[in-house]
Amino acid sequence: MKEHEFYVGLEGREVFWNIPLPISEVFLFSLTFIALAIFGYGIYRRWNMWKAIGKPEMRLDDMGRRVKTVLTELFLQKKVLKDPYPGVIHGLIFFGFFVLIFGAAFDAGQHHITEPLFGWTFLKGNFYLIFSFLLDLFGLFVIIGVVLALDRRFVKKPDRLGYKGKMDNTPDDVIVLLLIGVICVTGFIVEALRIHVTNPPWEVWSFVGWLLAQTFTGIAIDTARTLHQVSWWVHALIALGFIAYIPYSRLLHIITTPANHFLQSHKPTGYIEPIRDFENAEAFGVGKLDEFTWKQIFDSDACTRCGRCQDGCPAYLTGKPLSPKKMVQDIKTYWLENAPAAVAAKKAELEASGEAAKQNVFMRGLNKVDSVVDKAVLSFKGDKAPAEKALVGEVVDLHELWACTNCMYCMEHCSASIEHVPKIIDMRRYKVLTEADFAPELQLTCRNMENNSNPWGVGAHMRGDWAKELGIKTLAEDPSVEYLFYVGCSGSFDDRGKKISIALAKILQEAGVSFGILGNEEGCCGDSAMRAGNEYLFQALAQTNIDAMNGYGVKKIIAICPHGYNALKKDYPNFGGNFEVYHHTEIIAKLIADGKIRLTQPLSGTFVYHDSCFLGRYNNVYDQPRQILKAIPGLQLVEMERSFDKSFCCGAGGARMWMEEDIGERINNARTKQAIAVKADTIAVGCPFCLTMMSDGIKDQQMSETMQAWDIAELVVKAMGKEEIKPPVDACAV
Amino acid sequence: MNIIACVKQVPDTEAQIKVKADGSGIEEGQIKWVMNPYDEFGVEEALKLKEKNGGEVTVVSVGPARAMETIRTALAMGADKGVHICDPAFDSADAFVVANALAAVIKTLPHDIIFCGQRAIDDDSGQVGAMLAEALGLPQLTLVTKLDFAGTSVKVIRPIEGAQLLIETALPCVVTCQKGLNEPRYASLPGIMKAKKKPVDVKDAAAVGIATDAKAKVAKTVPPPARPPGKIICGDEPAQKAAELGRLLREEAKAI
Repeated sequence: MKEHEFYVGLEGREVFWNIPLPISEVFLFSLTFIALAIFGYGIYRRWNMWKAIGKPEMRLDDMGRRVKTVLTELFLQKKVLKDPYPGVIHGLIFFGFFVLIFGAAFDAGQHHITEPLFGWTFLKGNFYLIFSFLLDLFGLFVIIGVVLALDRRFVKKPDRLGYKGKMDNTPDDVIVLLLIGVICVTGFIVEALRIHVTNPPWEVWSFVGWLLAQTFTGIAIDTARTLHQVSWWVHALIALGFIAYIPYSRLLHIITTPANHFLQSHKPTGYIEPIRDFENAEAFGVGKLDEFTWKQIFDSDACTRCGRCQDGCPAYLTGKPLSPKKMVQDIKTYWLENAPAAVAAKKAELEASGEAAKQNVFMRGLNKVDSVVDKAVLSFKGDKAPAEKALVGEVVDLHELWACTNCMYCMEHCSASIEHVPKIIDMRRYKVLTEADFAPELQLTCRNMENNSNPWGVGAHMRGDWAKELGIKTLAEDPSVEYLFYVGCSGSFDDRGKKISIALAKILQEAGVSFGILGNEEGCCGDSAMRAGNEYLFQALAQTNIDAMNGYGVKKIIAICPHGYNALKKDYPNFGGNFEVYHHTEIIAKLIADGKIRLTQPLSGTFVYHDSCFLGRYNNVYDQPRQILKAIPGLQLVEMERSFDKSFCCGAGGARMWMEEDIGERINNARTKQAIAVKADTIAVGCPFCLTMMSDGIKDQQMSETMQAWDIAELVVKAMGKEEIKPPVDACAV
Repeated sequence: MNIIACVKQVPDTEAQIKVKADGSGIEEGQIKWVMNPYDEFGVEEALKLKEKNGGEVTVVSVGPARAMETIRTALAMGADKGVHICDPAFDSADAFVVANALAAVIKTLPHDIIFCGQRAIDDDSGQVGAMLAEALGLPQLTLVTKLDFAGTSVKVIRPIEGAQLLIETALPCVVTCQKGLNEPRYASLPGIMKAKKKPVDVKDAAAVGIATDAKAKVAKTVPPPARPPGKIICGDEPAQKAAELGRLLREEAKAI
């Protein structure tokens, strides 16, 4: 076909223009086949590796929801865009590439299917013009995305793309970006050369190619034709190379990351699968790689090292060795070291069982290919057996393992739906249950919980003492109350925490809410034990509470501690405790909205609300505490930079409340500084652990004169004008 | 090496102790029972010796049926077997009877070293270890805070006021353990599970074969008197208040 055959009214272009057919086509098909074969084989090898190590786990329930999740994560880039700047860069490349691939598919579809089979062409007329415009636009997006990504990785160098100031860039990171960039640039060159030669007026719609073509005016037509052919082949070869390269590079995330979204847990946030059989197990938790489930290992293959997790990890940001990204990457590296041997072992098992002989020709062929590739890999890498390393203690350092506060920032923000916290708890279970090797102070905490059902070890008989003389009934006295107020250990034993209990009791009494407590029949919720890995103790504590609660026919529960709230709500159902559980801020917000309590007493000052992890990220209770504060007259409410789902942990979660913090800055001090930075004079909290941590932080920062920490319930009592103002005691006046 | 650890079940240090109305003892209903903390040091030291030198650890306890829990705790920590001396005849046993009962049982067992707590935190008598050594005719090393095993003998450190004694004796011997000797381990879960299946030999008074008549009898149990309230010295002048404090310390408290 010659150039002059194009004319206005027949907008379109010839696919394979200037490319001598059919020899090129045959050549291209062969190359495509090879590229796809290399791609497919890579995925097959990876598949075998995914299958080779790990316990079984089913993640195929609720398919509708799973498909929906993948689609929203893919086409809305929901989690990726949670962090706008890198999210947009990724979006430019992702959406750009996606549209370009569709474009190529349209080209191929017309050329190889609709035209030869049905004589139907659709890349013409207005459709062609819009098609050309979009393809150029999205091609440009990709190039912009690649440039910004390179700039971010090599010029801006944000900390999260590294670890402790050292970037974790690999050659692969550059190769991948360059491949993508070069594919688009050569695509535009091919287009521009074609436009330069054929020069149809409508190609102004292919605006990038058209603009580029304007710079080619000096190139002779014949030269341009040759250049076109050369760049066409370069473009085609690199694009095919890209496909072949996917399974062997970070590009694999194109498959593993959506797969991981698909496979994500549908349990409530922070849910930890209990150990269900203590009697027959030899080891507990995860001490070896193959004690993880395959999905827990697969997670690490979905990790793109984006570092979103690290960006808000309270342990990492205060100088501890833990980085969720590093932990996941270390597990991945360890898995990659061990997977070949595991794959070989599975194959040998198959041989030995005689199953291998029953395989079809195709599989047997693949096995032959495998052995050739294995040998090649071996000769390339050398016959080095992976160093004998312990998963817990060496691959994952114990300081990393114990630094985690279970704050859930990593999982909330992971753009690949990786589940870090359950892995950490599984490894802690191994240290605590199987080895009984853990921090002495945490051992004491566990003993205290065992003997007196509270972490402090205060006599269990004193649990109900705070409520004496407040007119609060126990369920033993009146089991017909509407709500059980589950006080928890802080509210029962800690002097500061008791004030929260008293405040809430006053509010409930004032509002006429029917409630009671368990008194000395109440026990520790067990959250700290569970998150420390002491599942055995946790289940014993949980069962005692559940039996007491079910014994009184409890249906609705109010908790002042988000740790108990979360455990009762999400973990107790595993052991026969099914209750409607509310946090006191949920109840108080409702009482205010219903006009049951009136906040008439103004409080002055600048207030900041610190989101408790177990309330916010774990249970999505972000609004009620703020609604309450906004209902209090007089005060000015400000927000810290890290708030809502980006809130920064106080440092007490994940049993860290009971452990020494001797590496780096104290997390509670770091958080207090963030409150000081917004000039708050009151830190309002909804968690007794947070209250302790913030109070200590204020003391440490020597801000006690001008700054205070209060629980929301205490502030509400003040705003109700119900706070008893006790005159200073004058002993001599008596 | 054959190691014996003697353990006693006592109320948790935080438990609320209520005296029975008739003064015949304490109310046991609500009490959380634990292993005597000083005995834990003994069990831990026994386990450390076993881990280093091989051998077997046997826990021996005198106590009612509930004391079995404490024996299981020691077995969960890693002890190999237990002997539970359990008979109502021992309900009113004093240190002398308990020491004799332990001695009678231990005589029937091979023993190179015997650990006891320096005292039990319930009755605080601190006599059983010493009496046991006497009953067995063995050397006794009491209030030990450090122990070095040297094949056929042990060297221990025993703090005394202002100094430490370094004592050496040949085995077998009785060692009573003081805080500082070690940090008792937390039982692993496999340990707890295995403990359920370890052998515990339950012996009644007849099997032990000793006289169970106590030398000392508890006449009556009474709660300690309530503490009198503190006194606040009032006045305007610090000097005047100091003088009053001095007078009270001399005349009322007789402290100076």
